Amino acid sequence: MVSSYCELLGRRYQARLDDEADQFIRFAVDGAQRMQLLIKDLLAFSRVGSRGQPLEATDADHALELALSNLQAALAEDDARITTGALPMVLADKLQLMQLFQNLIANAIKYRRERPPEIHVSAVPRGSYWVFAVADNGIGIDPRFADGIFEIFKRLHTRDQYPGTGIGLAICKRIVERHGGEIWLDCEYRGGSRFCFTLRAAR
Amino acid sequence: MTGPVTDPNPKVEVLLVEDNPGDVELTRIALREARLLTPLKVVTDGEQAVAYLRSEPPFEHARRPGLILLDLNLPRMDGHEVLKTLKADPDLKHIPVCILTTSGDEMDIAESYNLHANSYIQKPSVLNDMVSVVTHVNEYWLRVVKLPPDLSLHQYTGN
Repeated sequence: MVSSYCELLGRRYQARLDDEADQFIRFAVDGAQRMQLLIKDLLAFSRVGSRGQPLEATDADHALELALSNLQAALAEDDARITTGALPMVLADKLQLMQLFQNLIANAIKYRRERPPEIHVSAVPRGSYWVFAVADNGIGIDPRFADGIFEIFKRLHTRDQYPGTGIGLAICKRIVERHGGEIWLDCEYRGGSRFCFTLRAAR
Repeated sequence: MTGPVTDPNPKVEVLLVEDNPGDVELTRIALREARLLTPLKVVTDGEQAVAYLRSEPPFEHARRPGLILLDLNLPRMDGHEVLKTLKADPDLKHIPVCILTTSGDEMDIAESYNLHANSYIQKPSVLNDMVSVVTHVNEYWLRVVKLPPDLSLHQYTGN
């Protein structure tokens, strides 16, 4: 609504507005749109707790399929290639697991280099847990920021460089922690980024 | 577009249930920009909407609309409660209801259709898209589809 009214102001008073006013209106419209995205993502963040379903035996492969299906357009647009190892049954809220995969893979696509994104999803067992990994060949992350990136609103780039609200990874962390697991950046990984998270195996 | 669109049902009214004056005005502006003459009646909360549709005071002379545009985030009685009430009322349940809301939340969408909303529209944030939405809604609901007989004859309700 805010951006619509800015637009209307611009139209109605066009003859009487100078270039600076045009710029003010553009900034206002941009701000309004950003606020809208922010609200949407904050709601998603807050709903990890309030809308969470009980954890049950879940096919991680299926959750990943759902995520990839939601990302179809982005995958095609960026010519991204996804490979996966065999994924196990885990204790999870299927929709939240889908969201977790979706956010990590969307990031892998977004923070790409010039060559087409290549993303690999895998899982290895570790006791009563599985350790999942989502690895890409993108721009990578300075290990200095390995912890900070999971904090809400923490971004490493300006909006001109890469769009985003700084809430995606915070949502991932919240989901993983709700599932009794951990999420971290693999700082040894070279040639891109590799995110790891643990989930309990389903009995 | 060269002028006002001729409406085969020129007197069919649309009832907008919306508490935010800014959003009401935007809907009017969008109708104007789309060159539509569809009369828009507005009530600002759910209880008023029900009273209007039942021709209860202060709406004794209200005409039955051919279409209801219903916001979800309303004070006191929210959109879903209004929907439930309307669809449970044998006199009112046949009136088409389009949810028109800022929310894109899947649960809101699912619940709306579960409560028999005829359709669900997420309000666009860009003005031109709003013009497009009202054009499409008007075209579909007031020109393409056949409305229930009592609505298309624009009868007066009540005494």
